[in-house]
Amino acid sequence: MNLRVLLLCTGLVVTHLLLHVALGLGKVAPDLAVVALLIASRALGSAGGAATGFVLGLLEDAFSVVSFGANVFAMSVVGAVAARTRELFVGDSIPFLAVFLVAGKWGRDVLVWLVWDTGSRPPFNDFALLESPLLAVYAAAAGLLARLVFARGPLSR
Amino acid sequence: MAVQPREGGEGRKRDFLLTAGVILGSLIVLNLPPGSQRSIRLFLRETVLSPLLEINGAITRMRERALDFNVLRAQMDSVTALVASGRTLAEENRQLREALGLLERERHRVRAATVMRTGTPGAESVFLLDAGSGDGVRPFNAVATEAGLLGQVQEVFADHSVAFDWSHRDFRASAMTSDGRTHGLVEAVRGGFREQDRLILRGTAYLADLGPGEELLTSGRGGTFPRGIRIGWVAEPAEASEGWSRSYYVDPAVHPGAATHALVYVEGADTLAAGPDSVAGPGRVVPR
Repeated sequence: MNLRVLLLCTGLVVTHLLLHVALGLGKVAPDLAVVALLIASRALGSAGGAATGFVLGLLEDAFSVVSFGANVFAMSVVGAVAARTRELFVGDSIPFLAVFLVAGKWGRDVLVWLVWDTGSRPPFNDFALLESPLLAVYAAAAGLLARLVFARGPLSR
Repeated sequence: MAVQPREGGEGRKRDFLLTAGVILGSLIVLNLPPGSQRSIRLFLRETVLSPLLEINGAITRMRERALDFNVLRAQMDSVTALVASGRTLAEENRQLREALGLLERERHRVRAATVMRTGTPGAESVFLLDAGSGDGVRPFNAVATEAGLLGQVQEVFADHSVAFDWSHRDFRASAMTSDGRTHGLVEAVRGGFREQDRLILRGTAYLADLGPGEELLTSGRGGTFPRGIRIGWVAEPAEASEGWSRSYYVDPAVHPGAATHALVYVEGADTLAAGPDSVAGPGRVVPR
């Protein structure tokens, strides 16, 4: 992982924590933690991606009373899978990154839903087919903006 | 886009094993016993996330202080009028209870606390209070705002506690109409989106027909919630079990996302003297 990617991902995580924990904005703020994880995973490899996801998921689960560990599991799996995309796709063009971020965020939400406490999770159709895709597009847009503003040029350089 | 050259077999194997180990670890975390999960959550909140929670608390307190002075003044005037009219009422009530040989009502001490919410996934119905065991807060204490019942304390630590609001799936409160004639159990029902969550009153007598706008209060049955805290108002009939009971949707009195300040009903204050002009506030006593 080069310094630009490290700084970008650290900045995204810190901003995510500020927006979600310090300001308590909830879904009004985009999920920048998963954006940081997806970008970092492609630079770290699957073990590094899974470990990063584990740590970020643990931070998110610090306030989860009912389904503790759901974010840890989802982020670990997404980190590992995102890293494997390195072997299939090289480069980080804007269209690829957009699809990658949307798919990663949506996949994470679906994984969280799968391991969520069955009594408290929302209906699958409402969550996975309507709410989550919208949140995924929002997160991807925020991620692309951050990428364009703070880390111009190829990330792999 | 092109296919990247593959890593060496040894490296791939090591990477795979490490990845599998991390994912296995995440599954272990998911299935840890509640006590261990609680310890991990506490550790994270008191270390890495502590500065962020401090900021959250400071912002919430600033929002409280930014309330319109005229609104506060109006609330203060209403409370003053209520207390003034209650002075004689309390004395009459005491005399009547004495004449009937009834025991004095149990009283609750309330502790004012700041409500802090985080926007992380999985914490939608959960909030933090800046009052803990050092302030007398115990698990299952009721949490209310000036508008009505907000929720219930779940986990208590030395200087803070974790509570859930009425939109949590485990929330239950025994309820009654303000005239005390109809009783039932209130619980949360999920909407398509979290913003559509509301309450439902179940188990009311089939012949007790409640109309829209009927006020519901906690009945005090079961001893968890003190009697007389407003829960909400009946909105519309939900379902009926023919000949047995009816259910009603309830518009909640408190919108959890808007709460910044709350009162925790800490305990029966049998050692604290309470005058008839007691009002809610830090360490004050209110009748149950």
